[in-house]
Amino acid sequence: MRYLKTLTLGAVMVAGSTLSIQASELHFIMCGGEIRDADQTVVDAFTAANPGVTVNIEAVPWGTCQDKSLTLASAGDPPSIAYMGSRTLRQLANNDLIVPAQISDETRGAYQPGILNTVTVEGTEWGYPRAFSTKALFINCGLVEQAGLQCVAPRTWDGMYNMAKAINDNTDAAGVGIAGKDFDNTMHQFLNYLYSNGGVVIDPVTGENKLNSSNTRETLALYEKLISVAQEGPTAWERSQLKDLYNDGKIGMYIDGPWGRGQHNANIKEITVPVPAGPQGGNGTLLITDSIAVFKGSGHEELAHKLAGMLTTGESQYALDTEWGLTPIFDYAKLGFENPYYEGDDYWQVFVRGIGIGGPEPLVEEFKGLQSAFTNMIQGIILGEGSVDELVEIAAQELDDAL
Amino acid sequence: MKAPTNAPQTRPKRLSESAFAWLLIAPAMLFIAIIVAWPLAETFRLSFTDTRIGPNFSYVGMENYQDLAESRKFKQTVWRTFYWMFLSVGLKLVLGLIGATLLNAAIPGRALFRILVLPPWVIPIAIGMIGWLWLYNGAFGLLSGVMQYVGIVDKSFEFLAYKQSAFYSAVVADVWVGVPMVTLFFLAAMQGVSRDLYEAAWVDGASRWYRFHRITIPQIMPVIVSMSLLSAIFTFNSFEIIWILTEGGPRSATTTMIIDSYKTAFSSRKFGEGAARTIVIVCLLGLFSVAYLWLLNKVSKHYGTK
Amino acid sequence: MMDRYSIWQIIGIYVAMAAFLIFLLLPFFEMFMASLRPLEHLFRSPYQFWSDDFSFKAYQDMWNTVPLLGRYIFNSIFISTAVTLITLIFVIPASYAYARLDFPFKNISLSIFLGVNMFTGAVLLIPLYRVMATMGILNTYWAMIVPGVAFLIPTGIWLLRSYLEKIPVELEEAAFMDGASRIYTLRRVVLPLALPGLLVVSIAVFIGAYAQQFLFAITFNQTREYQPLPAGLFEFIGYQSVTWNEMMAAALTGVLPVMIIFLFLQKYLVAGLTAGAVKE
Repeated sequence: MRYLKTLTLGAVMVAGSTLSIQASELHFIMCGGEIRDADQTVVDAFTAANPGVTVNIEAVPWGTCQDKSLTLASAGDPPSIAYMGSRTLRQLANNDLIVPAQISDETRGAYQPGILNTVTVEGTEWGYPRAFSTKALFINCGLVEQAGLQCVAPRTWDGMYNMAKAINDNTDAAGVGIAGKDFDNTMHQFLNYLYSNGGVVIDPVTGENKLNSSNTRETLALYEKLISVAQEGPTAWERSQLKDLYNDGKIGMYIDGPWGRGQHNANIKEITVPVPAGPQGGNGTLLITDSIAVFKGSGHEELAHKLAGMLTTGESQYALDTEWGLTPIFDYAKLGFENPYYEGDDYWQVFVRGIGIGGPEPLVEEFKGLQSAFTNMIQGIILGEGSVDELVEIAAQELDDAL
Repeated sequence: MKAPTNAPQTRPKRLSESAFAWLLIAPAMLFIAIIVAWPLAETFRLSFTDTRIGPNFSYVGMENYQDLAESRKFKQTVWRTFYWMFLSVGLKLVLGLIGATLLNAAIPGRALFRILVLPPWVIPIAIGMIGWLWLYNGAFGLLSGVMQYVGIVDKSFEFLAYKQSAFYSAVVADVWVGVPMVTLFFLAAMQGVSRDLYEAAWVDGASRWYRFHRITIPQIMPVIVSMSLLSAIFTFNSFEIIWILTEGGPRSATTTMIIDSYKTAFSSRKFGEGAARTIVIVCLLGLFSVAYLWLLNKVSKHYGTK
Repeated sequence: MMDRYSIWQIIGIYVAMAAFLIFLLLPFFEMFMASLRPLEHLFRSPYQFWSDDFSFKAYQDMWNTVPLLGRYIFNSIFISTAVTLITLIFVIPASYAYARLDFPFKNISLSIFLGVNMFTGAVLLIPLYRVMATMGILNTYWAMIVPGVAFLIPTGIWLLRSYLEKIPVELEEAAFMDGASRIYTLRRVVLPLALPGLLVVSIAVFIGAYAQQFLFAITFNQTREYQPLPAGLFEFIGYQSVTWNEMMAAALTGVLPVMIIFLFLQKYLVAGLTAGAVKE
């Protein structure tokens, strides 16, 4: 019976190829575990515009998603198109698993500064940026005032620590939420602070490993201080869980993306401020994008490019950014949108201002190695297994191995 | 055990015993060969390469194995795995014996108790582990909450955040998964012990403990032994439990060999090195089993059974 | 008389039993509690045993959040049953051979079977993926059934063999004397007597299949309609948050059918284990 099925399928495909319209099914892996309305709308429009083509969207949670795409690709059965974190692009590109993105010049000009860097490897753009975020510090004013302080933005790390300590000492809550779990946003959270201290992981020009620096040491030392006023057992927490603690009024502040406002309890009085500056830098933040990659060898690369293009038009992106509370990926004013959602809103300005001063997530082939170097370092200081100097040295060493 | 061979000439012709036996075994063998043996052979081959995610690779001989032999971290992982196995299996056996004895007692309600013992075995491991994740959560989970309430700790305790507590928490979860099966098998074995033995001892004035220690245990020793080996092998390779709870962390505190192998192959995409680790697992377990079966032989002789 | 316990011993037994059962059932309790809370109140510390806003709402909502939930529950049972039946087809003849017959390489081959238990599917995933891709069974029910069977065959043989060894040889020899062929003997004489053992092994295999579907399902199958329950529960994990209470409700509801079946079967399970007198 299977033989018959294969024969029939073969016949259909042969017949289909003689027509100008091909019957195809695109396998679309959507990381994040959920099919967003904005995506579904575009996919529906796509299938309507291309008769005979269907799209099988598979939503896979972040934890297993990237592994799954890579497993499929390694085993010779790649998805047609996938929405993943841009950090995976370099590994996929270097191993010839994806094809370069075909971004139109018009679209390219409209991207916010720094975004294309996150998908570019040695001059070639490998992904279509699809979602973008910058980060800021959310502070629970209720707890701050309860601790006897004024609810204003701390300018420096010392100011932040003092505020956190006051909350920790004078209220039931912990001062700050620190992420230490073996999860990607542990590294991201750390990078926010590192970039606020003028630190660099990999030199963008020379490609050198610059992790072993005083900037990093100071950042790790900050973590050491913050641990004493942070929630219990940071190694079990990652950012979205910190949000839950924050909502429960158990931590005074933590770093999160622009979607935070929508996810926080209405009865928490909060302010959103840029990440405080370290001794060697100014307010910094981390620029992260998720992008769409077209896989090689799926048999429908052209169709996949088409779909990716449709997903990344101005309208489509605007719909997504507003639906999910993301930092604007395009300069929408440039694209002709009137009154973009982030203009004139102080909350949004914090995140938008971050775009110009933020640094990208380092784009390396061995992104797991990069991540684990950071995780080891951060967990090391949390668990008290080494001095700041030792841990930074080891991390730099591990990063060298990964590069 | 052989069928009589001095068959008279009038008997219909039969397949030779060996041929018949192999006929019976062949389907199973074949199935295993395709689904397990071939991937295993492929893994063996991979262990001599430096295969990564891309299509290009080269053969590197024993390099992967050499790296492992020289790696201090790997040695720690091996020790950790054996410690994990002995601890967890030990606990399972002890709790299984206690549970079986309890269930064997002639008290009202034991039928109900026997049913209540089953759930951890029946439930998909993944789901059970989600339950344990919630229990172990410091801020929102039951265990920490109760501990705070009772006063054992004065703030929330994150079981999975610290190296020692994460390891033992994982052991507890693993024991939880394994105890029902061990208990039931021990219970059945206990029920198979002839009552006469107990009565004889009772008549002679033997205490309960004596009866347990001198009759029950020796009688069910073969079951204890075979259960131990089976359990040891499963525990050694226990993957889902650790993966869902801690993914091997924090800082490798719960990384057993199988976690290490999976991470190398699938997280870091170093298939060659991951394959080498897998082969080491197979070899170590093989050696362990051989040693164990040899021990079994001696124990059987000592206890005078079969 | 021997079974008479003093009052202290009875109390002791009940207390110990209670402690034992609490340990075994604690996660279920936690999951049940979590399923009763509304999502916002799940993340509340310190822990509260009771709160006013308990409701069974999650049990209703879960069918909407994950529309295919009923299908997933069915799939889990279907796959496990299929695995059990197919495994038995392979296991019964093979264990008979090991129990009764003598042939070259007997012990070695038995050890090889046992050896399969020595690693899980977790590390063979990629070569296994290629094998199944070649066989063309990816993204079908077979993708989850086939590996399940492969890893349960050894345990099945190991267990059933010891039961079959218990059956007196004389019965078979009698049949032999009467001119019966080996197959006939196997079918008509041995199998009926082996029934309790068979039952036990079937149950053990079923549970093995049911409990371990997760990894194979998420790796080898993309088609949502065929996913078993543990994989389906992942759908409660959204882009930025997880609907924990519904996930717990779904988990508990999902395993309920199997639990109920076991309620009825446990009598046979223990009886079978005893009858087999697992002395080996």
